[in-house]
Amino acid sequence: MTANRHGSAVIEYPNHLDIVLTREFDAPIALVFDVFTKPEHVRKTFAPFGEEVTVCSIDLRVGGDYHIVMVTADGIECSFRGTYLEVEPPTRTVETWHFDGWPDADAVETMDLHETDGVTKLSYRLAFTDQVGRDHMDRVDGLVSSFENAADYLSSLLDPTGTAAR
Amino acid sequence: MSLSAYNGAVARSSTTSDVFNAIAEAQRRDVLDVLITGEKAVGAIVKDLSMSQPQVSKHLRVLRVVGLVTCRAEGRRRLYRLERARLRPLHEWLANYEQAWNDRLDRVDDLLKELQQEGERQ
Repeated sequence: MTANRHGSAVIEYPNHLDIVLTREFDAPIALVFDVFTKPEHVRKTFAPFGEEVTVCSIDLRVGGDYHIVMVTADGIECSFRGTYLEVEPPTRTVETWHFDGWPDADAVETMDLHETDGVTKLSYRLAFTDQVGRDHMDRVDGLVSSFENAADYLSSLLDPTGTAAR
Repeated sequence: MSLSAYNGAVARSSTTSDVFNAIAEAQRRDVLDVLITGEKAVGAIVKDLSMSQPQVSKHLRVLRVVGLVTCRAEGRRRLYRLERARLRPLHEWLANYEQAWNDRLDRVDDLLKELQQEGERQ
């Protein structure tokens, strides 16, 4: 099943509030859109590490709500909900994102799809609207540089002699 | 995966957010890079980087507030040192987050293949 996998997602952190992720799939755009927006598909793919999704309701229209609940290995429910701000099949959705385990952090997520020669590219952005964090950032020096390979960078600091060295 | 890991995967604690914020600035990463090889005085850091002493001091102050750098006096000099342990929660957060996403997207990839094979059979 992995023959045509387009590798791991590229995950970037353009600043401390945004997370941007891209990945390609060998599938037509309409099918990829369905897999990310239809409950019967989201139920199978939403939870990382195969945890059980117990609630999956998606009202796919502007102003419509979604609510997804997954249960962790410890039996604890994690609830995600939000409201669709933009719905443009099969290329784009924008929706608010709220995780009950992190009540202070609100975010807006954007999914953009683009198909070229049968390969569909997903661009996903999760933008935290954390004003406290933004204020803090601005107070420091008002400057946020591009910080794309955060994980590699941290590895190099943690293990400067290791193979992860820059 | 435990809830704490999942919490870590989807949202940063204020501590990791502060550390992330501190290292989101390129010059501060340069300061950390200089400290990888060991303790240094401000003068040595200034010499290694093309930055002014006030700039270096400002960055060291930010790094000290979040605990990434500690300072001790040796005679009249103040020596600065990188505290690698402070980076670990952030590193773990990133690793969890990226692993969670890739796992989910692998699942999407598998489902897309399955759906397309079903489509071909029909």
